[in-house]
Amino acid sequence: MGDTLDRWADPSLLVLASLADEPKHGYAITQDVAQTMGVRLSAGTLYAVIARLEARGFIDPLPSDDRKRPYRITAAGAAELARQSERMSRVASLATERLQANLRWAAS
Amino acid sequence: MSSNMSRATRLALALYPPSWRARYADEVHALVEQNKNSRRDVASLAWRALPAWIWPPAHLHDRPARMRASLSTGLLSWSFLTGLGLVFAQLTQFQGFRPAGHPVINASYLVFDVALALSAAAAGLGGLPLWLVMLRRAHRERRRRDVACLLLPLAAPAAFLAGLSITVRLVGGADGVSPWWFGIITLAGFGLAAAAAAGPGLAMRRLKPRGPALRLAATAGGVAAGASVVAAAASIVAVTGLSLWARGFAGYHHHVVPGIYLALVVLAAMVTAVSAARGARAATQRG
Repeated sequence: MGDTLDRWADPSLLVLASLADEPKHGYAITQDVAQTMGVRLSAGTLYAVIARLEARGFIDPLPSDDRKRPYRITAAGAAELARQSERMSRVASLATERLQANLRWAAS
Repeated sequence: MSSNMSRATRLALALYPPSWRARYADEVHALVEQNKNSRRDVASLAWRALPAWIWPPAHLHDRPARMRASLSTGLLSWSFLTGLGLVFAQLTQFQGFRPAGHPVINASYLVFDVALALSAAAAGLGGLPLWLVMLRRAHRERRRRDVACLLLPLAAPAAFLAGLSITVRLVGGADGVSPWWFGIITLAGFGLAAAAAAGPGLAMRRLKPRGPALRLAATAGGVAAGASVVAAAASIVAVTGLSLWARGFAGYHHHVVPGIYLALVVLAAMVTAVSAARGARAATQRG
């Protein structure tokens, strides 16, 4: 599932993407990111990212009765995720288009 | 094994700033426990502690607390650095070491004098309003211990000067005091300087002052630290030059003592500069 560019994947975007559908606590985020995106976020990385996203107003902590505090994405966080997704889509389209052209050139 | 890793997690979390720990430590501990206390988690926590100190998250940043902590640390290291500067002046300038043909020594003395005077003026004038605010509040609330702590910067130098005057009269000769007595007086001076610096720091921890006086003191602390670093650099140049060119200077024959002195100066200058820079940054931040 993992790929060779794992360490270049931006953990902030992975966390925002994980929170896009519903609020999650730290462990649920790491499980979701590992299952859906194939990236294992360590505790140090995850909470460095959570602190950064919270400071920028991209996520909000929700009240919790136990030690596992859930987080939800804010409107600003959703807008930032949409902007980054759009950028990545353009990169993906461009890469696919050029790779196909390259394959056609190699086949001819 | 698991309890060892749990202890390792607590140790790794202890490396983080207090505000970070207060906000996230419980959650992190729960996560690491659910991950079966993996070594990778503990190692990543320890590794990520350094950026948490260097770039503390803005929403956890308690500016007045940052300024107070920087002022307390900076005052102690600045006092030590100033004490080293006075020892330097006593053993070089006041002994008349001015080797001919080496104008860099005289230039270093001049830079040292101006920078040290500027540093003392900035520290005194910038810290005075905060000191008066704290003294007034401690007096009004009948906090005797805090009043005593705040008066230490006046009492300690007075005690030192009185002790120095008596000692010189009792044991001094035509050439001053012996090297042993000079060492004892110097150590006593450093001890009293530490007490004079620690007093306001302790009072600040209990009184927790805020507002313009604190910001002014933190900003002035940055100026004082900058000037004292310049003075320290000038003393390093002068001591190095004297060790190379002045035959009458003790360091010319024995390089160990100047080496220790220079190492102490560099260490004190670094601590002073870093803590003052953090305090001044917190004081001048917008918002």
